[in-house]
Amino acid sequence: MTAAGVLVVGYGNSLRSDDRIGWHAAGLLATDPRLAGARVLAQHQLVPELAEDVSRASLVVLVDAAAEGDPGSLLVRRVRPRPPTPATWSHHLDPETLAGLAEVLYGFVPPIVLVSVAAGSLAEGDRLSVALEQALPEVVEVVADVVTGQHRA
Amino acid sequence: MAREIVIEPVTRIEGHAKITIQLDDDGQVADAHFHVTQFRGFERICQGRPVHELPSIMARICGICPVSHLIASAKACDQILATEPPPTAVDLRRIMNLAQVVQSHALSFFHLSSPDLLFGFDAEAGGRHLFGVLGANPQLARDGVGLRRFGQQVIESLGGKRIHPAWVVPGGVDAPLQAETRDQILAALPEARAATQRALAWYKTSVRRFAEEAARFGDFPSAFMGLVGPDGTVEHYDGTLRVVGADGAVLAERTDPRPYWEYLGEAVEPWSYLKSAYWKDLGYPGGVYRVGPLARLNVADRMGTPRADEELEDFRGRLGRTPSSSFHYHHARLIEILHCLERLQAELDDPEILSTRVRSVAGINRDEGIGVAEAPRGTLLHHYRVDGDGIVQWANLVIATGHNNLAMNRSVAQVARHYVKADRLTEPMLNRVEAVIRCYDPCLSCSTHAIGQMPLHLQLLAPDGSVLDECKR
Repeated sequence: MTAAGVLVVGYGNSLRSDDRIGWHAAGLLATDPRLAGARVLAQHQLVPELAEDVSRASLVVLVDAAAEGDPGSLLVRRVRPRPPTPATWSHHLDPETLAGLAEVLYGFVPPIVLVSVAAGSLAEGDRLSVALEQALPEVVEVVADVVTGQHRA
Repeated sequence: MAREIVIEPVTRIEGHAKITIQLDDDGQVADAHFHVTQFRGFERICQGRPVHELPSIMARICGICPVSHLIASAKACDQILATEPPPTAVDLRRIMNLAQVVQSHALSFFHLSSPDLLFGFDAEAGGRHLFGVLGANPQLARDGVGLRRFGQQVIESLGGKRIHPAWVVPGGVDAPLQAETRDQILAALPEARAATQRALAWYKTSVRRFAEEAARFGDFPSAFMGLVGPDGTVEHYDGTLRVVGADGAVLAERTDPRPYWEYLGEAVEPWSYLKSAYWKDLGYPGGVYRVGPLARLNVADRMGTPRADEELEDFRGRLGRTPSSSFHYHHARLIEILHCLERLQAELDDPEILSTRVRSVAGINRDEGIGVAEAPRGTLLHHYRVDGDGIVQWANLVIATGHNNLAMNRSVAQVARHYVKADRLTEPMLNRVEAVIRCYDPCLSCSTHAIGQMPLHLQLLAPDGSVLDECKR
């Protein structure tokens, strides 16, 4: 079994400490044999140009830091498409608007799952906090479980 | 009593700005100014840094056109190293720059300006945005998103990331092009060309509605400046700097454009952080010239690629040899996208593009370097001085939006004189004053080297400076 058709996007500001959790997760997931065939991207933010990639995927898993919660705690939830609005600017999108854009522009949205990890620090810095370093293996496991169908959001 | 209108912030541009419109005692527009109200100061930030760091530092000036700063900076560093990048490295730098022109022009035309062109300047501001376009003309929106995606993906595939790639380095580029990457880019080119040609066909039909705006949006005689290749074709990476007058006659042809102080002046006004560049022979403030896509088309003899040359012939057939209205930047932008896509194809079809010799290595051999290239918005100059250890002592940047500053101010005044008839701001007037600025696609992050957002502030001022009316978005 391969993860062909799966798109994993880890995103966040890689110069803002725990906001780089998506980059770390993407780095590990890109070589994880359970995700063989999946496309894994690391991005600063979600942008409209991703909408086509989303619409072509069979499953999308997003990994991001969250500003609230106990540092290192995980929240896994389904993303429901929301129609784009004027307030949505071209520089970045939230997951719901990205899903909505894929639906409106390309007519298809696959299941989208957001794995968010509560940050301990979003200050300037190019390293994860201890709490998120410790949470990183769990993040990878959860994403792998979502991709292999063992975790349902 | 004379009065003044202020528009602040200006929307759908890159950066912070405001516009003031000064009324005279009769309530007529006496003057108008485009103020850039943000400041960042990269020319100071880089002092004390090793020159090898500058391409990466300077790329941080802008998140939209970092590649232009990378390239102009690396070219200045090449000169300090007294080295020439291998031919393949030059071609690879050119490819990245062409991709950036595609993505930046796509952002300007489709995301920022197409709502005005689709819905008209009298439409409700609340509906004039990309997602409004998406509802009214999904193909146009798809093409815009797709073209931007194409350009960004080419940059990312070459440089490892789409924003602030560090692949362009002094002496060449950091890594050769892989065959797989080349093939992926080539495979995406046909759809990108088709999207551009659809947009051109749509634009040429739509523009008929805007004859009045085309005659008022910065329609005045001025010089135009841009790089051209040895055969007079449009050039974005290197070449001769050509200046033509309003009639298209060549005013100057600088084989070596680097000693820019010989022909350009930079004036500073107290009401803006944006410098006003001017053509020295014509003095200040009379030495107005324009740069960017319209200027590049006006200075060139031809585009140098087949489909873009057909479009240029059509463009000149409709508008004359040297169109003078800044409204036509939009049309020029689309023709340039087509040209860049064709040029990308030609560069990638050359087997030498896969050569692994892509970097020349050298130490500090000169104490001064100047890099010149064409950014999406126009000619870009980076000028550095270093000490014997290569530590930067001084830097000066002349940015496309600075070249266009005098023209933008003149354009705002022209639009205001035609559309502003009272001491109250109306939506159609506001829309048009903003839209004429948008023709130039100014990048205020680049031109003042500041963090960018897109607000507009417009003020209507009395002769005594009191604010009669103002509008913020």
